[in-house]
Amino acid sequence: MKTTRRDIFKFAGGSALGVLFTPAPWRLITDTALWSENWPGIPRPARGEIRAKFTNCSLCTAGCAVRARCVGDQPVSLAGVRGGLCPFGVTGHHLPYHPARLRQGPVSEATAAVAEAIAKCGPDERVAVLDLRPGRTASWTARRAMAALKSGLYIAPAQSPVAVDLSKAKTVLSLGAPLVERWGTPANVFAARDGFRLIQAEPVESRTAALADLWLPIRPGSEEALALGLAGQLSTAETAQITGLTELQLASVGQTIASCRLSLVIDKNMSPAVVSLNVKLGNWGRTIGPRAEAPVPREWEKAAPVTELAAVPDRSVRVLLIDESAPGEYLPWDAIEKKLAPENPLVVVFAWSANGYGRHAKYVLPTPVYPEALDDIPSAIDSPAPCFRIAAPLVAAPAGVVNPSEFIASLAGLPPSDTLRERAAAIHQAGLGTLVTYADAKSVPVKDVKPDDFWKALNAGGCWVGQALPPANPQAGAATVRAATVRERLPRATDDLVVIATTPPAASLISPLFTKLYQESDLLLAPNCVALHPLDAARCGIAFGTHAILETPNGKWSVRVLTDSSVRPGVILAARPEMAGAQGKVVRA
Amino acid sequence: MRGKIVFLAGLVAALGAGWAGFPYAIYTSRLEPVDFSHKIHADKAGAKCEDCHAFRDDGTFAGIPTLDKCAGCHAAAMGSTAAEKSFIDLYVTPQREPPWASYARQPENVFFSHITHVKLGNVKCESCHGALGASDKLPRYQQDRISGYSRDIWGTAGRPGMTMNDCIACHSHQARQDSCLDCHK
Repeated sequence: MKTTRRDIFKFAGGSALGVLFTPAPWRLITDTALWSENWPGIPRPARGEIRAKFTNCSLCTAGCAVRARCVGDQPVSLAGVRGGLCPFGVTGHHLPYHPARLRQGPVSEATAAVAEAIAKCGPDERVAVLDLRPGRTASWTARRAMAALKSGLYIAPAQSPVAVDLSKAKTVLSLGAPLVERWGTPANVFAARDGFRLIQAEPVESRTAALADLWLPIRPGSEEALALGLAGQLSTAETAQITGLTELQLASVGQTIASCRLSLVIDKNMSPAVVSLNVKLGNWGRTIGPRAEAPVPREWEKAAPVTELAAVPDRSVRVLLIDESAPGEYLPWDAIEKKLAPENPLVVVFAWSANGYGRHAKYVLPTPVYPEALDDIPSAIDSPAPCFRIAAPLVAAPAGVVNPSEFIASLAGLPPSDTLRERAAAIHQAGLGTLVTYADAKSVPVKDVKPDDFWKALNAGGCWVGQALPPANPQAGAATVRAATVRERLPRATDDLVVIATTPPAASLISPLFTKLYQESDLLLAPNCVALHPLDAARCGIAFGTHAILETPNGKWSVRVLTDSSVRPGVILAARPEMAGAQGKVVRA
Repeated sequence: MRGKIVFLAGLVAALGAGWAGFPYAIYTSRLEPVDFSHKIHADKAGAKCEDCHAFRDDGTFAGIPTLDKCAGCHAAAMGSTAAEKSFIDLYVTPQREPPWASYARQPENVFFSHITHVKLGNVKCESCHGALGASDKLPRYQQDRISGYSRDIWGTAGRPGMTMNDCIACHSHQARQDSCLDCHK
């Protein structure tokens, strides 16, 4: 029998039909998909012994205790210890692998350039360190280094000299503080929340405003005026005019906080006007008091004073070292730029990511990032007692990174030392306070712990808690605020809208996992978006979702406009802090 | 007529190759290093699953016991079987870990908490592992040449599978909530 071409095709056709009724093609499809999960390039977590390590999260000042599940030496998941951890803390171990992570930088070139620039500094020129998260042991090193340099200057954002105790408050008036979003220590706030009535005065219906017992929609920028009005430094009529509230509302709020024996007034940074109001209401020593810091070795006290950026003479800084390694407060670049010397200023930024001030710097030096970085976490604003916690590294930092405080100390010729251990020794030597170890939920007086055990416990996620300072001076931090000054700061009456910034969900870059929140939903205002009240958007001739230009005295940005009826008319809500704090307008692109 | 016969011949050949030949081609097969009997350990020694497949103090699951655990009882022969003698000669005496193959190994991108399921959810070992704990002989380990996973994760007669669909089906059946990050790293 002769086999023809037709036979071959018919046999192949039968085979093709038959094979569909076997597991072969379906298994091959599944296997190929599974194989693609494991092909080269897919990161493979190491297999090994599973252990738990304890540390403290340094992504914000809350400093939550963290239990890390590690396979071998690699953390594979983070969780809170005897409490929750925020979504950013839960994904903190992704940060070393962030796409924007810096791993290499011109360290030796920058060292030589900084040394040369310091040597060439003129008599009126300064070498300055800008520390975005002051109060750390690294901050003390920078202050000591600047004290050792003839023209050294230590610049840091203003830190409130007071701390509050939310657990004692029965009524809290918040003047724009994002109390239940990102203020102080979230665990403390939520633990105390059921115990106080919250009145939120804020131009937009933020999440805190939505969760408050009463929301007072005040005019943008009128928070300080409201504090002065309640303190009696402005008349009720004038306060009502400035804030946009009725006199009846003001009288009601004033009566509520004055009649409550344990009230508390807060704003974002506990400004002098707010402290003054608290003192007037008799809250000093009850719900508010002086802020205490963990002890430091006696020899460290020869440190440069903390200078606010606004107090630095314009065009005076020849060398500026910006420590951006720990997430901290944002200062607008144009405010920093004004302080730089007019010719050839040298700006060096220490950062773990390519985003941030590095865009304006001559050198960007890579630093370790949490959970690689060894750092301590200063006490939060809602911690009446001082505390000392260490964010002990969970993974080793890559070879090319530099420690900012070591770099700065070496410039000033400070001898290399283990500053965290020295500070721990000073705390132990003082013998006050208790050591709290979260892993076993024990609290032991420091005087009963040996120095080495104290240090080991701190490195294993322990926390030293000291004693709150006695409220000796009721005027501490309550500098006099003149009503005239507040009036000057109010937004001018123009057709422009006032740009205010939302509270960012985190202080710095977060795990790329959260990109979905920005790109696939409007749960968070994305950095390239602004939100307007629908009436304002209609007045500007801009529809929802269209692209436009935001123009403010700080600059111009191409933005996507969202409309949101929870935004007060007259306000532009922005996510990027550099856009905010000014009046501006949105024009069609 | 001839054309139909040729077509049917192709159909039958493909069915035969797909059902009979393909499994031999796609899976590699090997015996476990020791001819281990769960049944003997359960019946004669009265051992329970958790005696050997224990939880550590921190709640993590130890999985297949290491040689130290086995040597605790089998430092010297306890019986007269050839399998035990071979085990002692090949592994206990030279202190060499047996290269056990795991029938239930999951992909690198997931983790499975035994303690949550066993202690909190009261899930029986047999629910996922079938009657392996009562078997007299360990089955051959078959590994997919392409995906690298054990054939057993797809389930066999009398035992459910261990794929993501099986996890989801069980959680749905038990009205348990689940989210991606519960299991995926």
